[in-house]
Amino acid sequence: MKNLNLILAGVFFTVAAPFGGLLLSGHAQLGSLGRAPAEEGGPLFPAKEPGLAIQGRQVYLELGCVACHTQQVRPAGQGSDIAQGWGVRPSVARDYVLQSQVALGNRRVGPDLANYGARAKTDAEIAAHLSAPAVGSSMPTFPSLFSKAKDGSLQPNERGAALIAYLKSLRQDYSSPEAKLKQ
Amino acid sequence: MSQETPQSRPQGQGRPQGRPADAGSPRVSRVDASVASPVKFFFASALLWLLVSSVLAVITAVKLHLPGFLNGCEFVTFGRLDAIQRNVFFYGWASNALIGLNLWLLASLGRFEFRNGWIATLGGLIWNLALTAGLAVVLLDSQNAFELLELPRGVAPAFFVAFLLAALWPAVAFARRPTSQVFVSQWYILGASFVLPVVYLLTQLMVLWCPTNGVLPALVHSWFLQNFLFLWLGASALAAVYYFLPKELGTTLTGYYLTTVGFWTLFLFAGWTGPATLLGSPLPLWIQSTGVVASVMLLIPLTITSINFFGTLARDSGWSRAWNNTTLRFVAFGLVAYTLAIALQIVFSARSLNAVVRFTSFISGQQQLLTYGFVSMVVFGAAYFILPRLTGAFWPSAKLVHLHFWSCALALVGSVAGSLYFGWTQGAALAAAKPFAATANPQAALLSSACAVLFLIGHAAFAVNAFGMLTSCSSTTDEGRHA
Repeated sequence: MKNLNLILAGVFFTVAAPFGGLLLSGHAQLGSLGRAPAEEGGPLFPAKEPGLAIQGRQVYLELGCVACHTQQVRPAGQGSDIAQGWGVRPSVARDYVLQSQVALGNRRVGPDLANYGARAKTDAEIAAHLSAPAVGSSMPTFPSLFSKAKDGSLQPNERGAALIAYLKSLRQDYSSPEAKLKQ
Repeated sequence: MSQETPQSRPQGQGRPQGRPADAGSPRVSRVDASVASPVKFFFASALLWLLVSSVLAVITAVKLHLPGFLNGCEFVTFGRLDAIQRNVFFYGWASNALIGLNLWLLASLGRFEFRNGWIATLGGLIWNLALTAGLAVVLLDSQNAFELLELPRGVAPAFFVAFLLAALWPAVAFARRPTSQVFVSQWYILGASFVLPVVYLLTQLMVLWCPTNGVLPALVHSWFLQNFLFLWLGASALAAVYYFLPKELGTTLTGYYLTTVGFWTLFLFAGWTGPATLLGSPLPLWIQSTGVVASVMLLIPLTITSINFFGTLARDSGWSRAWNNTTLRFVAFGLVAYTLAIALQIVFSARSLNAVVRFTSFISGQQQLLTYGFVSMVVFGAAYFILPRLTGAFWPSAKLVHLHFWSCALALVGSVAGSLYFGWTQGAALAAAKPFAATANPQAALLSSACAVLFLIGHAAFAVNAFGMLTSCSSTTDEGRHA
């Protein structure tokens, strides 16, 4: 191999092949995916996020929560995510069609959050977890998301409230054409 | 194609050594002198970033078992520092060092005296300024959700231009080389230098500039990440191994005729392995399966590089000679790490095994084997060979060389073994439906912190030695000796 053009042409092919075979083919299959009802005439899922939750998604990204939390529930034969109570069905591509920058994540120092909204209780409990995580947890506190109220208690500020709204909006507890809930 | 032969370049320096009492300064050849300025710039930048990365690695490791550590301000929260540390390591340390290493290798192998080396230096300057600005945004404002794409998208054009300026030289050198010989190292460098800007540009466009909603960006990201790890970092480090191993052992490569197949199969299959890192994700099954098949196919380039490298080391007391040579000690260590890393990539792309270790520290241990155990160790070894030739000075302290090797080697073994073991045990506990909170082992975080401190010690020893050499003024150009 002494020919520069030959080497570059070959390397170009090795880049172009997976680009076409994986990315363009993937785009052809997933690019037009939209919201859909589980059954004809039913409501469209995934539901649109409220405005405050969209702001909260930005806080989630700013703080780098994706470093420790995933947002994807694997099928029952591929890990114990459902047995852990993180979801009621596996995540499917349609669940993410409204998300502009999907935060699937690659590491779980903390639990998966794909269906956190379905198991979260009240805003106050989520706020308490963010301001004082359980003893033994690796999660830090987030003082910047809170401000002191007149009675001295910590209350979520604007960013804190947005993050809480976002966490509550994370739900994959509905049927979709690709993943029906068991009755 | 030709093999690098022991006679084709001046011999290396051998064992770690300080300045011999009766020796003058090492001579700097004309070819080396022509690239000295940009290569020294890239190595010095890389070293500074390595120190920053090492300090950040200690802080993030401690934060995992003491989450309250340095938690007063939001900009030092774990999520931000973790992203910054990763970007500093990959774009600051590894990429700077490999650009410099590639420049030197191409000049050296092509017997090519560079003109206008300032263009490459300018590229390096833009690269480092863009990285600094991008890190400041991550620290103070926001970041993207994808590993190694966390920096704001405005950094991408600057990175792209900088890389073209710095890596334009490899193509120039290759096209204008006065010799008709072509070495294996040159294929790998050309391939790596072509892949990075193209893949980076396409990824930026598809993920950050013209993004599509949904999981497609995650697929694009996995494609980028595998290309970055295997075909930029991995291929550039392999180029160095193909140069230093036969040269420093003074022998020819075993199974040299297989190198063409090894090169093309690595480039052909590595780019398809991205989806193997997304098994169980919401992506279509056929895409995930493609990644698994491609990962298994990496067995071909792995077999060939093993024949080439371990076959060569097994001849004529190669292992023992490698152990007694500073450069080869690091390179041989790196080769073992490379083989283990690719073997783990192949074995743990099997769905049943991947299901156990996915999302645990096992994956980061596997990645660390490749990016630190192989790439960084080879770069260290190369630096011990190259810097004396560029500066015309000896390494100031042999003790610091030993401290560097042993600190980094022990830290790597401890860190990787801990990540693999604790990752596997956590995955097995989760598979047995143990509650998540009960599966985390606090010893894992403690071990990780200890290893991070050990890495910092090793890197500090390397930096003291290297900056001592880079700032020395004993450069002597050997006009009479042609490289």
